[in-house]
Amino acid sequence: MNGSVIDTEKLTFYYEGNDKASLNEVDIHIRRGVKTVILGANGAGKSTLFYHLNGVYRPSSGKVMFEGEPISYRRKALRSLRSRVSVVLQNPDDQIFGQTVESDVAYGPMNLRLPEEEVKERVETALRTVGLTDLRDRNTFKLSYGQRKRLALAGALAMKPEVLVMDEPTAGLDPQMALELMELAEQLHHSGTTVVISTHDVDLAYAWADEIHVLRYGRLIFSGTSEEFYRDPVQVYMTGVVQPSMFLINKSLCDMRGIEEAPYPRTESQLVSKMASGEKGRFLIMPVADRMDSYMLDAAVDEVGGSIKVGLYGSRSRSLLYESGLPVDYVFDGFESCMADCLMGKDVLLLCDESCLDLIGSKLDRLRDFGTDVRAKVMDPSKN
Amino acid sequence: MDFKYILEARDVTYSYEKKEGSPKSLSEVSLGIRPGIRTVILGANGAGKSTLFYHFNGVFRPKSGEVLYRGIPLCYDKEVLYQLREDISVVVQNPDEQIFSSTVEEDVAFGPMNQNLHPSIVEGRIADSLFKVGMEDYRYRPTTQLSFGQKKRVAIAGALAMEPKVLILDEPTAGLDPQMSQEVMEMVDRLCLGGTTVVISTHDVDLAYAWADEIHVLRHGRLIFSGVPEDFFSDKESVALSGLALPHTFSVNRSLEGIRGLPEAPYPRTNSQLLAKLSPPEARFGRIMIRGIGDGTPVPEDDGLTRGIYGFRTRRMFRDNGCRADIYFNAVEGCCLSAMQGRDTVLFCDEELVDVIAGRIRSVSEFGRIPEVVL
Repeated sequence: MNGSVIDTEKLTFYYEGNDKASLNEVDIHIRRGVKTVILGANGAGKSTLFYHLNGVYRPSSGKVMFEGEPISYRRKALRSLRSRVSVVLQNPDDQIFGQTVESDVAYGPMNLRLPEEEVKERVETALRTVGLTDLRDRNTFKLSYGQRKRLALAGALAMKPEVLVMDEPTAGLDPQMALELMELAEQLHHSGTTVVISTHDVDLAYAWADEIHVLRYGRLIFSGTSEEFYRDPVQVYMTGVVQPSMFLINKSLCDMRGIEEAPYPRTESQLVSKMASGEKGRFLIMPVADRMDSYMLDAAVDEVGGSIKVGLYGSRSRSLLYESGLPVDYVFDGFESCMADCLMGKDVLLLCDESCLDLIGSKLDRLRDFGTDVRAKVMDPSKN
Repeated sequence: MDFKYILEARDVTYSYEKKEGSPKSLSEVSLGIRPGIRTVILGANGAGKSTLFYHFNGVFRPKSGEVLYRGIPLCYDKEVLYQLREDISVVVQNPDEQIFSSTVEEDVAFGPMNQNLHPSIVEGRIADSLFKVGMEDYRYRPTTQLSFGQKKRVAIAGALAMEPKVLILDEPTAGLDPQMSQEVMEMVDRLCLGGTTVVISTHDVDLAYAWADEIHVLRHGRLIFSGVPEDFFSDKESVALSGLALPHTFSVNRSLEGIRGLPEAPYPRTNSQLLAKLSPPEARFGRIMIRGIGDGTPVPEDDGLTRGIYGFRTRRMFRDNGCRADIYFNAVEGCCLSAMQGRDTVLFCDEELVDVIAGRIRSVSEFGRIPEVVL
């Protein structure tokens, strides 16, 4: 059981001139290293809660605690808090102040009075992570919505926060950008950041969350696993959300077949594994460090002795792809797409960031719970 | 009818900048919207969806090419455009760009008043359209006090009050929570059944797949596909290049049938269709009883069965009488699923829709075994 990193105690908040509490005695515990989703309809209080987590709002009553200590609202203490808890707002325009992409990302680390070298390195890493390196000198006014959204995230990442809070991160993004962002969130989680996401996209929330906290009219009405919450249709209805598709299909199929609902599939490959099985293809994995080259694909083709589908996983690999010009089949959602093919008997190769090897391994392990044991092999990316 | 398309774009090219050679937001786009066909314009951010919509009601004029309504090229005279906009209503993505009046009532009345309709007709239209979007309790509210979702619904009510022949909705569910999205889609569904041609733009592939008869896909201002959704989604490369992803129902069906060595067709677009296809022969289904609600229908007694409601009148009756319902949203689909899970389920709906809905549920049998429908 992970201990909590942020707690609130009877957190109550009124907007000025409003006699209805926007947050009403909320006791929430955000646990360290747990993929957390705050779920609720429009106006349930999600964003208001987030403004409390980094001390922008001060509770009307009750308190907010970071690592067990009530947060202090003195300027210096707040600055230190915000270097450890970063909040990415829903609307990037509320967060972007710099004139150029680079200066905007540098703003936070500079304020922390870090050495110049360190600032430079953080900006570099953050820009690369969100794929904005090429636009570093671009005027921030000239960015598209999706680019501004990524820039705001880069600004937060440059703080190297322990807790990253994202308000509706995929709202207004194209499907591919949304997939890219969720993959990034997964990577950050894996590298030890506590990631908290607010959304009313129930399918996204279901696929991602270890734990959900549900707000309704400013009150916390549920904390626990998604399944416990979605099992109660009345509660789901009252909250203004609907059951996730994956939950519904699994439940219906299990009812029809008279089998147990658990284990609960959260992804398509888990659902498919549970419901059907056949001859599987080979699943090759190749970690990518600083280059991508066609001999990598050749090695994989030699290994399986035939054609192969190629997918990508990780922001590093994706940024290397464009230079390399390799013919990759699945640039987005690479793991799921490769697994779908593998389950249908095709051989696949997943090119992934070096740092994501464990993460891919744990995804494969998880699939065993649903009856799929693929023959995975990690291949050496170096040319022999 | 002497026209094939109610709305048509022929070689439409448009650029936001005047200079020669500046980037084009639309390049030689040709597509036709057929009357009564549920149409989705699909594309990533910046693909040109909204730009295209502004051509359909004559706000933008193509730099080259032409737009036709009922087979006749648009005329850009002010008077004629007013008339055009009585027939074609566009609801833009951001409601703040569309709401000008200080109260909800005034805002919805604006269009019909400009048509110089009799006050009693205007009154009827306000009441009717606010009811359809579930905002009748907000009639006298200042528009500044509304939430995003409420504003969105008021903007839609304003369009409905014109009783347009073609309703064009730009990202109608963006920013709405799931229930509100389903409510909007149910309203759209009702309008389609009532004969309005509805065109929706979205990048929500699941929504597009479940709803559309026909899709048109834009990429960087060019039309790259027109046709049935399955043909587009079967071409993974085009999907990827368009910034889109596969709908869940489409990819789950493909994987499961692929593993079982079965053909992908028929293609389920909803969960109930998918489940009909996958249901084992031993599964025990409940029945679906469909009950029509007319103006004089007595309030139904509660027999303890699972209940869904569909339609404006039915919704109102249940609300006014405090009747219990279990499935409030997307009820045709929800009742189907409930019966497939083995429960006897009652679907209450507006009486004139009974046959349409029964037909819709029975058509799921194309995919496999379905629950028995009892009228």
